[in-house]
Amino acid sequence: MKSQELSQIRNMLQEQGYISDGSIAMSIFLAMRLEKPLLIEGPAGVGKTEIAKVMAKALKTDLIRLQCYEGLDSTHALYEWNYQHQLLYLKMQEEKGKDVKALEETIFSDKFLLKRPVLQAITHTKKPVLLIDEIDRADEEFESFLLEVLSDWQVTIPEIGTIKATHKPQIILTGNRTRELSEALRRRCLYLWIDYPDFEKELAIVKAKVPEADAKLGQQICAFMKELRELKLEKTPGISETIDWARALASMHLTHLDKQIVEETLGVVLKDWQDIRHTQDALSELLEKTGVVSRIG
Amino acid sequence: MQEQMIQHQTELSSNMVLLCRFLRKKGFPLSAAEEADALTAITQLPIHKEIHFKKALKAILAKNRYQFEKFDAYYTEFWEQLSRATDSKTKEKSIQKDATSDTQKQQARFESLKDWLNLNPSEEQMDIATFSDLEVLTKKDFADLSEDEMRLMMRLLKRLAKKIAHQKSRLRKSSKKRNTLDLKRTIRLNLRKGGAIQRLVFSEKKDKKLKLVLLCDVSKSMELYSRFFVHLIYAFQNAYDKIETFVFSTALHRVSDILDNQEFGKAFDTISERVPHWSGGTTIGSCLQDFVTEYGHGMLDKKTIVLILSDGWDTGDALTMKSAMKSIYKKSRRVIWLNPLAGNTNFSPEAMGMKSALPYVDVLASAHNLASLKAALQAVQKRRKVLIPY
Repeated sequence: MKSQELSQIRNMLQEQGYISDGSIAMSIFLAMRLEKPLLIEGPAGVGKTEIAKVMAKALKTDLIRLQCYEGLDSTHALYEWNYQHQLLYLKMQEEKGKDVKALEETIFSDKFLLKRPVLQAITHTKKPVLLIDEIDRADEEFESFLLEVLSDWQVTIPEIGTIKATHKPQIILTGNRTRELSEALRRRCLYLWIDYPDFEKELAIVKAKVPEADAKLGQQICAFMKELRELKLEKTPGISETIDWARALASMHLTHLDKQIVEETLGVVLKDWQDIRHTQDALSELLEKTGVVSRIG
Repeated sequence: MQEQMIQHQTELSSNMVLLCRFLRKKGFPLSAAEEADALTAITQLPIHKEIHFKKALKAILAKNRYQFEKFDAYYTEFWEQLSRATDSKTKEKSIQKDATSDTQKQQARFESLKDWLNLNPSEEQMDIATFSDLEVLTKKDFADLSEDEMRLMMRLLKRLAKKIAHQKSRLRKSSKKRNTLDLKRTIRLNLRKGGAIQRLVFSEKKDKKLKLVLLCDVSKSMELYSRFFVHLIYAFQNAYDKIETFVFSTALHRVSDILDNQEFGKAFDTISERVPHWSGGTTIGSCLQDFVTEYGHGMLDKKTIVLILSDGWDTGDALTMKSAMKSIYKKSRRVIWLNPLAGNTNFSPEAMGMKSALPYVDVLASAHNLASLKAALQAVQKRRKVLIPY
C-alpha cells in the first residue's frame, strides 16, 4: 500500500469497476500520499460516494460512513457518554459505599463512551476510509467541529483529554453544493470537482457496470443521456440513472432504443413530473439528435 | 552534478512560490501550507511529465469549483508570462553586460517576475477599484443595473431575505441539538420512570413565523424598477414559507405558485405572459380593493406584514384607494410601502394615490438602491406603535 504509484491507483480503480479520468486518479493518489482529506464536489449521481467505497475495497479496509443531515452535531458524529449506563452503574455502586473519586473516574472511562463514526475512525485498529457524505447538509457549526480532526487527527473530549489517531484515516468528504462550504474547511482538503462524464467515459462506465447490455443499445443510451442533459431540467440525471436505465433495458433484452420504449421507461431516468413532460415534448427532436430515427412522428 | 541538482531544485521552488503568488492575485486563498504541500507532492510524482505536474498542482491549489475550472488557463498564462519576463529581462541585461552567468540570468528572471507580480502600481489600483464595486453597488440606483450587477445583486438579496425570514422568536421548542437543557420537560418526562433522570430533553428558539403579503406594481411608470422588484419578490418567495405574492397594473394577479416552483427566468416569462397589462397604466386603488375583497379575509391577520412596491401614480379614484388601504392597515401587523421615487431629494408624496394612502402606511421607504432597501427591510420586524387613525 505504501509505494503506490499513479498508474497503480488507476488500475486499482479499474479493477473495482470504477472508470476514472486523469484528475480523479491524481487526486486520490495525492490524498493517499500526502495523507490529506479529499473534498469531492459535483452534481448528484456522478459517483462521488462511490470513490470512497471503491477506495475502501481496494485498500482492503473498513469504510466508516457518516451521513450528514441538518441538525447533526458532535454527539452524533464524534462521541457521546452513555448516560443511562452511567446512571445504572452509579445506582449499583450506591450500596457498596465506594470512594467518590474512584467512581467518578470509572464512569468517565472508555467503558461508558459511545464512539460515533469520527471517533471510531481515528481509534480504528487498521487505517480506515472515513466517508463524510453530503457535508453541505450539516450546519456550519458542524464544519468547525470537523476542523480538529481534519488537520490534527485528534478529538478532544473534556472529561478524558485528547485522543490522537492510532492510524490517520483516509477521509473523503462529498458535497452537492447546496451550501457554500467554509474557507477553513476547504483549506484543509484537496479538492476534486467531478462533472457529468463525456460520451466515451459514460459508455465505458455502462460497459463495465452493465456488461449484459447490447453494445449498440449502450451507445444509444449514452448519446441520449448526453442530449438529455442539455435540456434545462429541474433535476439533471446522473450516471447512476444511466446505469439503472441500461440495466432496465437490458433486462428486457432490447437491442436498440425506439420512441415508444423511451416514453415508457422515462420514469427510470427522470424523477420529476415537469421534467418528464418537458422531455416528452422534445422527444422526437432528442431521438433525432441521438441518431435513433423514430418510425412514426 | 550535485550543485546542478540543488540549483534545479531552488529554481523549482522559487517558481512554485511565484505561481502561488500569481494565483493569490487571481483570488486563490493560498498560504505557505499549500506551497509546502505542492512541493512535497511534486517529489512524490512518479514521472516528471508536465500533465501530471499540472494535475497535481490543480488538486492541491484549487479549493472550489470555480478555481478548479479556471486553473488550467491560469497555469498556462503563468508560464507564458514567466517565459516572456525572462526573455525581456535577459535581453536587457545582455546589452549592458555581455557575459551573464546562469545564476545571474536566473536572478533576473526572478526579479522581473517579482516586479510584474507585485510592484506594478496600475494593476494594484485596478484591484482596489474592483474591491469597491460592492460599495458602489449598494448605492447604485436599481434602474441603472447592468446584467452582471443584477446577478450580484440577486446574491445579496437572497442573503438579505434569508436573514429577515429566519429571525428567532422568544418561544422555545424541543430540539435535537444538545445545546440548552429543557429542565421542565426533562423532569416531567422522567417522573414516569420513578424520578431518576434517564433521558434529557433539549430546546432551541423557535423560528418566528411571519406571514408576508407582497403587492407589486408592474405598470408602465414602474417599468425601470419592476424587473428588479420581481427579483426581489423571487428572493423572498424562496426564503419565506408563508408568503403570498400579487402583481398589479390595471388588474390584480396572484403569482405565488408561479414563483414558488420555477427558476427565475421561467417564472418571469410566465408572469409577463399571464399578466395582460404588463407595463400598462395603473389603477392602484381598485387593485387594492380587489385584494381586500377577494383575499383580505383569508390572508390578512395580525401576524401578516404587507409590503407594497409601487410609485403611487394612480389613475383611479382616490377614495377607493383610501378605503382599501384603510382595511389593509386595520387587518395587518404592519404596512410597508416601498416607493423607488422616494429616493429623489425633491420627492414629496404628491401623487394623488400616494397622498391618500399615506396615513395608512407604517413605513414609507425609498428602496431605489440596496442601502435603502436594507434599511427598510430591517424595519419589517418592528411592531407598530401608533394607534389606528380614525
